[in-house]
Parts: sequence; structure tokens; C-alpha cells
Amino acid sequence: MCTLLIRGGRVVDPANGVDGVADVWIRDGRVVAAPSDSDARADRTIDARGYVVMPGGVDVHSHIAGSKVNAARIMRPEERRGDDRVVRRRSGFRSGTLGSVPSSFATGYQYAGLGYTSAVDAAIPPLGARTAHAEFGDVPVVDKAMLVLMGNNHLVMEAVKAGDRAAVERTVAWLLNSARGFGVKAVNPGGVEQWKRGGARLAGWDDRVDGFDVSPRQIVTALAEAVDALGLPHALHFHGLNLGIAGNWEQTLEGMKALQGRRVHMAHVQFHGYGGSPDAPADFSANVGPLADFVNAHSGITVDVGQVLFGETTSMTADGPTGHFLAELTGRKWYDHDVEQEDGCGVSPIEYKDRNFVHAVQWAAGLEWFLRVDDPWRVALSTDHPNGASFRSYPDLIALLMDRNLRDETLDRLPEKARERTGLKDLSREYSLSEIAVVTRAGPARILGLAHKGHLGPGADGDVAIYAPDDDCRRMFAMPRWVVKAGEVVVDDGELKAAPIGRTLFAEMDVDPEARAALLARLGASASFHPANFAVGPDEASNPLGLRAGARP
Amino acid sequence: MPGDALPYTCTLCGCLCDDLEIRVESDVVAEAKGACAIARPRLVGLDVAPRAAAACRVDGREATADKAVEAAARILAAARAPLVLGMARSTNETARLAVALADRIGATIETGDAESAWPRVVAMQRYGSIGATLGEVKARGDVVVFWGCDPATTHPRHFERYSLVGSEGRRTIAIDEGETETTRRGDVFLKVRPDQELNLLQTLRALVREAPLDPHRVVAATGHDLAALQDLAETLQGASYGAWFQGALAGRGPARLAEARRQAVTALVRELARKTRFVALGLGEAGNPHGVEGVLAWQTGFTPGVDLGAGFPESWPGESSAAERLKRGAFDAAVVIAGPFDSARSTPDGGEDVPSPLEGEGGRRPDEGSRSQGLPVAPLLIRPSGAPSPSRGEGGSWIFIGDPECDEYARATVALPAGVPGIDESGTYARADGVSLPIRALRASGNPTAGEWLERLLTAIGAATPCVRS
Ligand code: SF4
Ligand SMILES: [Zn+2]
Repeated sequence: MCTLLIRGGRVVDPANGVDGVADVWIRDGRVVAAPSDSDARADRTIDARGYVVMPGGVDVHSHIAGSKVNAARIMRPEERRGDDRVVRRRSGFRSGTLGSVPSSFATGYQYAGLGYTSAVDAAIPPLGARTAHAEFGDVPVVDKAMLVLMGNNHLVMEAVKAGDRAAVERTVAWLLNSARGFGVKAVNPGGVEQWKRGGARLAGWDDRVDGFDVSPRQIVTALAEAVDALGLPHALHFHGLNLGIAGNWEQTLEGMKALQGRRVHMAHVQFHGYGGSPDAPADFSANVGPLADFVNAHSGITVDVGQVLFGETTSMTADGPTGHFLAELTGRKWYDHDVEQEDGCGVSPIEYKDRNFVHAVQWAAGLEWFLRVDDPWRVALSTDHPNGASFRSYPDLIALLMDRNLRDETLDRLPEKARERTGLKDLSREYSLSEIAVVTRAGPARILGLAHKGHLGPGADGDVAIYAPDDDCRRMFAMPRWVVKAGEVVVDDGELKAAPIGRTLFAEMDVDPEARAALLARLGASASFHPANFAVGPDEASNPLGLRAGARP
Repeated sequence: MPGDALPYTCTLCGCLCDDLEIRVESDVVAEAKGACAIARPRLVGLDVAPRAAAACRVDGREATADKAVEAAARILAAARAPLVLGMARSTNETARLAVALADRIGATIETGDAESAWPRVVAMQRYGSIGATLGEVKARGDVVVFWGCDPATTHPRHFERYSLVGSEGRRTIAIDEGETETTRRGDVFLKVRPDQELNLLQTLRALVREAPLDPHRVVAATGHDLAALQDLAETLQGASYGAWFQGALAGRGPARLAEARRQAVTALVRELARKTRFVALGLGEAGNPHGVEGVLAWQTGFTPGVDLGAGFPESWPGESSAAERLKRGAFDAAVVIAGPFDSARSTPDGGEDVPSPLEGEGGRRPDEGSRSQGLPVAPLLIRPSGAPSPSRGEGGSWIFIGDPECDEYARATVALPAGVPGIDESGTYARADGVSLPIRALRASGNPTAGEWLERLLTAIGAATPCVRS
């Protein structure tokens, strides 16, 4: 038995309504109640007096593994050359490179260095799951999970077309099980298939996908229903229509209305809340208000923001047509990869410039989302790493949320036209420490349905970040004094001390053998591989931890 | 060994066919259903009786495993300029450990065939790439181009599995230096001289862009009438889903222009993608170079060659090549995994795609000559003639991890016996389109896997936990 006592810190644990001085006891990797014997001693004690103690950070939407992430690495050597862009080898640790898409070990180290102990990769096609799991095995410290792309899956669309809810459920369960995935993702449902067919962009909720004769509305509602019927911990994770396109706020609102009553997580909403029209780019604006109002009024909806921060980064998306659009817009190099029966993928470098009108509006739009959604439990902090910015810039984002002056200073140097096209200047809200703890850990954990994460009550994972209070919020969150993962001190005084591999979380699904055989037979008829090789084997996930479906609150 | 229900994955060319059915009788492969002419003679008749363990060797003499690992660890711990190379047939799992070792000892690590891998990667770094998994071509491809390659000969099942499944309304265009099995299968054959390949690619791109061209100059540059090329450009643009296949060097021209050709293909396909869906894919190389390249990239950020000597990953085309340093003798210790030169290509300085990935010294097709029968293991580990290889006492010490029947085994400073992936060892390989597939052993091996040896070496020199399937 191995115990750790974090003594006397200011514990900020909003999930348990705690904000005050307390001790945290961890035994064998889990938080436990303080021993009744007041003389009890721990194997190790951290004197946290004067420090802020929070659960480890949880990233609800990030891109850290899989073919598009690795393509971004291969395509962008220019980002990973130079002294400040590398992680040097130290005894017991691996070297690596940074850039907007760090190498695998560096990804784990960097997350841990910020006090993050869990990260979800938000877009893995079932056929890419085997590689992504292998890569997870080289992403240390953090617990990982993957969301499995299904919004353009042929078998899903066929079941939707047939109007067969049970068939949709069976297909979803089988795909999730085959990929050892944690949750279900829909990206531009039907729209990627349509693009691969050379058809026109699916711009509206009732446009039809050629060949399948289904609409985005039908696909998304069917998937959301299936996710609920299967009792998955996390709601349908949804990347909407018309990402990045002027005037898309209307379809975003329509989508939320279409799903009303069903749980849904809307991903990187910043990219989906623009006014104007596709034909008049000059009218581009942030139109977050009506969307945030709708979220405020409907408790089943959660969002992550996908904040843009100024600088060079890499856009990557399973939304093939959007990837193409962006690459053509910037004229820069482009990686594009269609995945049979499933999805697409686009990767391209992008630089967000504060002098650029559109980028400036996007920056402000993201912040508006954070400030206009009243309930911090339903808005998760994300940059859609690396799309809006690297996760490594989370401390900058936290500082902007906590400090209105900082926002105004940045706003002042943006193009005047951009300032007028957002409502940011009128928003005076500043996040409290407790609210930061919500949007960076407690909220995302709850959104994901991870009862053992995002809090420090008994039974929770022994994942803790301990920060030195600082008026400079950026500095405070950039350099935790200690980070604890499953009861082990992994960061001490800014230095990585240990890099355990972390768990891979997946949803345990029961799949009827007959249904599986039937689905595999249909898959095999058109796949380029043998259906027996589709599913990720039980020993192919790194340090897996199955979570029982049906157990959601 | 292969489970009754599970198919066998053939690793003998870039098709990585994962649908073979192996039947074993009396410890011999009696039937390999689905095997092509390349694979059949290598699989049928293969002795799959459990293999006895081979002895390790140190300085040419048999040694215990402990002594050999100790000797190898001593060499690596003392090395100032080590190399890790080979791996063209290593599993992804082995590759993860090989990169861990390279990181630990500060080695330059490189995978596969430098001559084709670097141009592929550098072209990607400059322009990106536009591709798909092979199933997209199978399901959607209606215009399929074979550019300077002959899959009918080198990738015998490519057509039936991926590129020409069914035939309704598909147009097949073969562009090559001369007639081949593939050009004979095509609806259109366009002849192109190797020295005019780049011109042809650029002309086609200009036509798709609808740029005005001087007919005389087009003829001079490509050997073809403007009208004929216009037709071709029309066909390409008329695709609803087009696929452009190419070999390891993206054409028949000199290897030094492989990168330029790849960029030109990507530029053409990007132009086409403005009008329709069009993708470019490699036929893929035998073994697992694509998987190993991916592993190197995810662990270090770079591929296919990385110098870890400074304590962090660095990679520069033309500099970070372990094969190059090996050739120059610029190393003091080398770890050679499963043979450095057992790559698909057999002309290190030729500038031609090789007709058969398994063609050996004599240039015979594997199914034509003496190599075809009764050699269960050696054909899987083919060394091209004239390729450089380390030898004891020259350049530096070297450690060989691989098949004891390879001739490197006798020549290495330290030799550690490991099975052949896909014969003695299971794991995963990646196809050229990135799809990762299980490969399965056909027999039990008394030898450890290459990965197990790497783990022992890492432990012996005291490395970080390598984190594989922990
Ligand atoms: S085509 Fe290639 S992979 Fe398929 S059976 Fe023949 S040699 Fe093996
Ligand atoms: Zn995303």
C-alpha cells in the first residue's frame, strides 16, 4: 500500500463544492477519505500550505494521435527545429520535438507539465484505431481515450436510411467495440461522403447525401439517440455543418434545435458561430449571442470552445471538404486522406494573425463563448488542439478568461472593423479560480461521464495539480509546483520526475455475435482488408481500462 | 500456428494482402489460398515445424544470450557515433523499441530504403500529399493511372484487390517508358521517355489549369501532341474519383529526380482536386517501411532518418542518413535489425523501379528460376548485389538482430537470433496507405523476437521504460 498526503493546501474542488484548506489523501492511486486516526502518516507528504490544489486537468477535445496527427508531424519539420522546439533526453525520459503537434512522448510530458492528466483524441476513424492505440502507448503520463468517427460511416448511414433504430445502435456498438473507443463522434455528417462523391457541399440540415438518401439531421439525431440508448458515458460529440464559414451560426442553431431533448456535446463551437454570409466575406462577424442563449436555456447541451490564439499552428480535421477549403484559402501545403467507408482528413499549416480581420473575429468569438455561456459546467476549455492553437497555450487562454484588462489590451490592437464585429468589448465577466477549475477539469470530466475524474472526493483518480498562487495567472497555470498522477508525483518544481504510461479508457460494449458477423460480412464486401482484421485486439490498446456502458448518471 | 479462422497476411510486396488461407499438413504449408505467383512458391512447402533456438554469436563464436547481450550493451554504452538501421521488415512493435534504443544511445536511426523514402518524405514536407485508403479506390475509382510502374508484375494482386476491382465504366491509363503487363491491361497506354517524365507532369498540370501552351514546345518537351495530352487531361478531370498510382521512385527517371517527380504529381493532383476528387498513392513496398516510418515520426517528429546524437531529434535530408554514414564508415557501432538492405529495390544507384520486389542478385523473377523452390526463409531476406554492408573490424562494431540464416549473422560483432516477422513473429505492419494490419506467425520460434532482444538491450544499458503495451 502506498499513500500520499497533500497537506494543508487550498483545495479547489468544485465538483464536491469544496474551496478551502484541506488535506487530500491518496492510497494506491485513488483519493481516499482522511484516516480516522489523526496520527496516521503517509508514505510521502507534500506540504501544500499556501498552494492551490486542484484535480488533474481533463481535455475533452484534442488531437494527439492517429494518422492525421502523424501526417502533420511528418509534413512540418520546420516547426520542430531549433533549441526551444525540442525536448532533450534526460535519464529515464525520452527526447522529442514540439511545434504545434509535439511528438508522442513530448505530448504526454507537456500535458503533465501543465497539470493535465487526461486527454481525449476527438477524431479517430475505426480503421485508424489500431495505429492510434499503438501511438497512445507512447503518450505517457496522461490517461487517453478516443472518440470514434461515425457521421459518414456507410453502415451507419444505411441503417439510418432504413429508419432502423436498433440497427443504428448495433452498428454504433460494434464500431465502438471494434475500435476500443470511448465515445461517438460525428463530423460534418454526410458532408464528407458527399464531398468524396464530388457532390455539392451539404449546407443545410435537410440536404441529402447522394447514394444514401439521408440528411445530416437524420444522421445526427439517430446517432444521438443510439448513444443515449446504449448508455454511453459521453453524449454524441458533434462537429457541425459548415465549419468556419460565414453565416454558419444559423445551421448551428438549427442543429441544436434538431437535437433538443437529447444530450449532445458541440465541439469547437467557436468555429460554428459566425454571422455574415458565404457570398459576402466582408460581412463576417461573431454571432455567439443567440447560440449561447440557446445553450443557457437547454441543459442537455454542452460545448467546448476551440479557442483561436494568435500564432502559427496546424489545422487538422476529419472534415475533408473543410480541410480542402482551408488549404485553398491559405495556399499552403495540404495533406488529404480519405478513409474508406468512413471519413476524410485534411491537414494544413495556418497562421492566425492579429492583423487579420477574420482571425481577430475568431479570437474574440471564442472568448465570447466562454463569457456568454452562464454555466461553466457546460463549456469546456479547448483550443481544438492544434486547430485554434496548441494545448501548450492553455495558460494564455486561462489568463484571458480571468483578466478583462488583458482581453481589452489585445482587443485594442486588433483591426477596428474586427472589434465592431464582436460583442467582446462589452463583456466584463472574469472567471474565478473555481470557475477555471470547472472549465479545465471538473466540467470536462462530467461532460465525458467520467465519475472518477475531475474531482478530489474519495474514489477519484489520484490525479492532482498543485499550483503556486500568482497574480500572473498565465505563469501560475503554466508551471504547477507539483503534479500527481495516480498517486505518483510526476512533476516536482517544474521538473518531470516520472512518466508512467497512463490508462487508455474505452467503453465496454456488448456486441451480439450474430450482429457482429453480419456487419463484418457487409464491411468485408467493400473493404480493402479482411474483415477479421478490422477490430483492434484486446492486447492492442495500451494499459486499457474498460468503462461499462449503461452506467451513466 | 495460424488460428483456424484467422487469415494470413502476406508481407512479400506492398499489397500486404491480408486474406490468405494457409493449410498446414505434417508441419509443412500444403496450400496458401489467395497467394499470387510471387508468394506461392515462398509459402507452399514452407517448413513450419517449431524452430529450435539458434545460438548467439560474439566475435564469430557462439555465446550465451547473457554474454551476447552484455557484449552488445558494452559496445553501445561506449559508442560515440552509433547507428540503428534496417527495420524494413520490422513490426511496428519492434520499431517502437528500436527508436527507444536509438534515443537512449544517441544514434542516427534510419528505416528502409533511403533512396525512395527520403524523396517521398521530403516531397510531403514541401507540398503535402493527397491520398486515400485503398478501399476508396476500390469503391469509387473510375479513372486509374499507373505512372511508371508495373503492378501486374510487381504487385500481382493489386488489380483484383484494390485498383481494378470490377470494370464497369472504369478508364485505366498506363503511362510508362515501354510496354509492360500493366500497359497491356490499360485502356490507354501513353509512352513517356524517363527524361521527359517531369515535363509531362508539368504539361498535364498546365492543361488542367487551362493555361495556354505552345503546341511545338509541348511536343518537344513530352514527345506527344498537345491534342493527345489535352484528351488525357480531359479524361483525368472527367473522373469522379481518380487515382494515380506510382512506384517507389515515382517514375522511371533517375533517382535524384524522384523528389521532383513526386512534387509534380502532388501538384497535378492538387490541381485536379480543384475540379473533382483525385488522389495519388504509392503501390507500397514489401515489408513494413511505411509502418516503421510512421513510428519514427510519432516518437521523434521526423522520418525516415533521425539523428539523436545531440540528445534530441534532428533530421535533415541528405545528412541524417544512417545508410550513408554506414557506407562512409562514419560510425563506431551499428545495430542492424533484420538486415539493412532487404528492401524491395535492388538497384542502389540505378534509377529504375525494379520489376519484382523479390528479385535477387541474378535478376530472375522469383517464379522463374532456382530461387523459387525449397528455400523457406532466405527468399524473405533478399540482399541486392553490390549493396554496402558492414563487416567486422571495419568502420566499427556492429550488432545484428535477425535471422540466423542471413550471412550477416556470421559476420557481425554480436549476433542475436530473431525470427522473421510474418513467419516466426506476429505483430502489426502498415500498408502504404497507412492502414495497420495484423501479421501472423506461421510457426513457433525458439528465438526471441527482435523486439525482445531490443528490450533486453535497453534494460542492460539502463533505459527509460519503453512503454510498449505496458
Ligand atoms: S500480391 Fe503481394 S502481398 Fe499479395 S500475395 Fe502477392 S506478394 Fe503477397
Ligand atoms: Zn477537433
